[in-house]
Amino acid sequence: MTTERPPSQGRRLVALPATVWAAVALPFISIVLALLVGSIVILASEVIVPGHPFDVTLPVTAYAALFEGAFGGLDPIVNTIRAATPLVLAGLAVGLAFKAGLFNIGAQGQFLLGALGSVTVGVALNQASPFIAIPAALLAGMLAGAAWGFIPGFLKAISGAHEVVTTIMLNYVAVSVIAWAVSGPLDQPGSPSPITAQVGNAALPVIIGRNGHLGVLVALAAVLAVGWLLFRTTRGFEIRTVGANPDAARYAGMQPRLIVVLTMSLAGVLAGLAGATVVLGVTHYMMASFGTTVGFDSIAVALLGRSSPVGIVFAAILFGAMRAGAPLMQIQTGSLIPAELVDVLQATILLFLAAHEVIRHILKLRGVKAGLETTDTIARTYGRESV
Amino acid sequence: MRKQRWLGASAALVTLTLVLAACSSGASPSASAAGSSESAPASVPVTAHSDLKIGVVTDVGTANDKNFNEYTYVGTKQGAAAIGAAEPPVTVPKDSSEFASSIQAYVDDGYDIIVTAGFSLGVATTQAAHDNPDVWFIGVDQGPPCVNAEGLPDTTFACAGDAATLLPHFVALSYQEDQAGYLAGMAAASASKSGTIGAILGISLCGPCIRYTQGFKLGAESINPDIKLVVNWVTESDFVKAFNDPVSGKSYGDQFLQQNPDVDVLFQVAGKTGNGVLDAACEAGIYGIGVDVDQSLSYPNAAKCTITSAMKSLALAVSTDIGKIVDGSMKGGDDHWDASRDGIAYGPFHDLASAFPANMADLLDAAFAKMKAGTLVTCPEKCGDLSTLK
Repeated sequence: MTTERPPSQGRRLVALPATVWAAVALPFISIVLALLVGSIVILASEVIVPGHPFDVTLPVTAYAALFEGAFGGLDPIVNTIRAATPLVLAGLAVGLAFKAGLFNIGAQGQFLLGALGSVTVGVALNQASPFIAIPAALLAGMLAGAAWGFIPGFLKAISGAHEVVTTIMLNYVAVSVIAWAVSGPLDQPGSPSPITAQVGNAALPVIIGRNGHLGVLVALAAVLAVGWLLFRTTRGFEIRTVGANPDAARYAGMQPRLIVVLTMSLAGVLAGLAGATVVLGVTHYMMASFGTTVGFDSIAVALLGRSSPVGIVFAAILFGAMRAGAPLMQIQTGSLIPAELVDVLQATILLFLAAHEVIRHILKLRGVKAGLETTDTIARTYGRESV
Repeated sequence: MRKQRWLGASAALVTLTLVLAACSSGASPSASAAGSSESAPASVPVTAHSDLKIGVVTDVGTANDKNFNEYTYVGTKQGAAAIGAAEPPVTVPKDSSEFASSIQAYVDDGYDIIVTAGFSLGVATTQAAHDNPDVWFIGVDQGPPCVNAEGLPDTTFACAGDAATLLPHFVALSYQEDQAGYLAGMAAASASKSGTIGAILGISLCGPCIRYTQGFKLGAESINPDIKLVVNWVTESDFVKAFNDPVSGKSYGDQFLQQNPDVDVLFQVAGKTGNGVLDAACEAGIYGIGVDVDQSLSYPNAAKCTITSAMKSLALAVSTDIGKIVDGSMKGGDDHWDASRDGIAYGPFHDLASAFPANMADLLDAAFAKMKAGTLVTCPEKCGDLSTLK
C-alpha cells in the first residue's frame, strides 16, 4: 500500500489495487489508528484520574487483556462468536438497506421486536418438541422484525417519509412495546422485576464449547443468503440499481417503491433474527428493559464491512471480540480502563473510515481512488427523494 | 458537483455522529473515578494477608453513579481492605445479554467472591451460583432468592427450592427499603409548609423504588394525615434513562415541579438520574431528599437543598458479608437488612437542620427504635405493588 499507483480513471469493473485498498487496507489502517488513539485516551485518563501510579505500559496491558478475553482459548473464542452473531445478522440488515440506498437506523427496533416475537412464541412452546419450538420461535422473530421493517419501507413508498426519521422513531416505539409486553401480558406473576418465563425447549442448542449456540449457523446461512440474493438474483440486481440510481432504475422499468418495501422488510427479517438468536441462544428470557445497543453497533459493522456480506462477518467478529474481551480488560487493569474504551475504539474506527480522505492524505496515498463506498452512497442519496 | 458531494457527506456524518451519540448515552469516559476515591493502588498489593480475589459486576450504567453501583463497590473495597485482599476490580456490562458473561469472566479468572449489584442481575447470578458451587456470590438487591428444586433460577416464581441449602454460597441481599422511606417521609412531611410533597421514581418496574415510596407515604401520613403525595416516574421502559441519566432527571424534575407548584419537598428514587431531580429541586428553591446513600455527601452539587436521605447500608452489608465469608460464618440464602441490623437509616441533616422542627431527630430516632422492635408498620399490605401509589 506504500507504492504509488497511477490514478484509476473512473470506476472499472475489476480495479484490483483500488478494491483491495478499500476493502482491506483502509479498514486495517483505521483499526490501527484507532488503537493508537485509544492508547492516548488511556494514558490521558491515567493523568486525569489521581491516586494511581502512572503506568506507560497500561495501553499494552489493556489491549493484551482485550485480546486474551476475545481469543485466548476456546471459551473466549466462543464468547467472541456469541457476541458477533447478532452483529452479523443486524449488520446484514443495515448493509442490505445500504445497497438499496436506504439508511436503516431501525435495526435496533427490528432487533427488539424480533426478540419479543421469538420470546413470546418460545415461552408458549417451551414444553413442545425442540424440532417444532425452535423453528417456530425463530420464524416469529423474523416475522416480527419484518413487520417493524415493513412500516418505514411502506411509509417511504407511499409518502416519501424518510426512513432515517421513521426508523429512529420506531426504535423508541419498540422499546416501549417491549416494556409493555414484558411488564404486562408476558410477565411472570410473583417476579420482583418484570421478566418473562424461560423459553425452555425453544432454546437454541449449544453446538460449540461451553455455550456457543446454534445461532452462529443461522448467521452464516443468512450471510450466504444475502450474498446470493444481492449478486446472483434479478431482485438483488434491482436492489443495487435502485441504490445506485433510482431514476435510472425507474427508467429501466424497475419499481423502486416495491424494492424499498421489500428491502426494508428483508432488513427487518435479518435484524429480527438477530434479536431471536440473543433471547433464544444467550439470555433464554427477556427483561422489560433489554438495554441493548446491537442495533446501533450494527450500523458501524455495516460501514466497516462496506455492506458486503463477507466484510460484515469480519467487522462483526472485530466488534464482537471487543465486547467479549471487555470484561477481562476491566478485571486485569484493576478497572482503570472502563468498558467504554470499546465504544471509543469503535467510534474512532468509524471516524477514520468516514474520513478516509484524511488517511489517504496523511499517508500520501493520493493516487489511490475509491474509498468507503457506503458512505459515498449515503452522501449521494441522503435526503433525496428516491421513490 | 464535488462540493455537493461533500455537503452530502457531511450531512451523513452528522447523522452518524448523532446515532453514535445516542448509542452511548450515559456512558462516562472515566468510570474509574470511583476506583480512585480510595487511595489504594490498583496493582497487586505487596503485603496482602489474604489472597482472595474479589470482583464486582454492576448493573448497566457506570460504576461511579454516586449511588447504588458506586456504594456497592465501595462496600466491596472496604470488605476487601479489611481482610487484606487485593483491591477488587469492577466490570460494567453493556446490556442485559452480557450479565452472564461478565460474571463468567471473573469465574474463569479464578475469583473467589463475586459481588453483583442490582435486581436485574438476579437470574444471571443465581445461575452462576448454581454452576460454580465453589465460588461465593453476593447479589445486592436480589433477596430473597427464588430457585426451583434443582437450585436453578426459577422464572415461574414458584420458588419451590430452598436456596440456602441448594446454593450455600449464594448470599442474596435485600433491604427493608420501606423503613428507610418511612423515615424520609416523616422528615418530608415535617419540612413541608404547603402540605404537598413529591416523589420521583426512576422506573415503574423497580420493586425497591416502590417500597421506598410506599414507606415514604406512610411515614409522611404519620406526621400529617392530610399530606398530599404526588408520585411520578421518569420512564416505564428504559433502565439507563431511569437510573443513569441525570440530564433527563433534571428536565423531568423541572417539568414535574412546574406541573405541581405546591410540592415543596421532593424525594428522588432514581439513582444517578435522581441527582438531576435533586438539582431541579435546588433550582426551584425547594427541599430535596436523597436515596440509598447520604447524598449530601455523595452528590455535593445538591447538598445545599438536600435535607436528608433515605439510606440503605449498601457498603456496610457488603463489607460485613465479605468478612463473614472469610471467617467462615456466612450462610447462603436471603440476607435481609432492616432497622434491627442497622441495614437502613436516615441521612444526617448536615447544615439544613433548620428545615425541621427542633425535635425532628428525636421523632425519627423513636420511629427507628420502633422499627427495630418490629412494632411499626412501614409498608401497606401490597408491599412492592405500584397500584397502591397511583
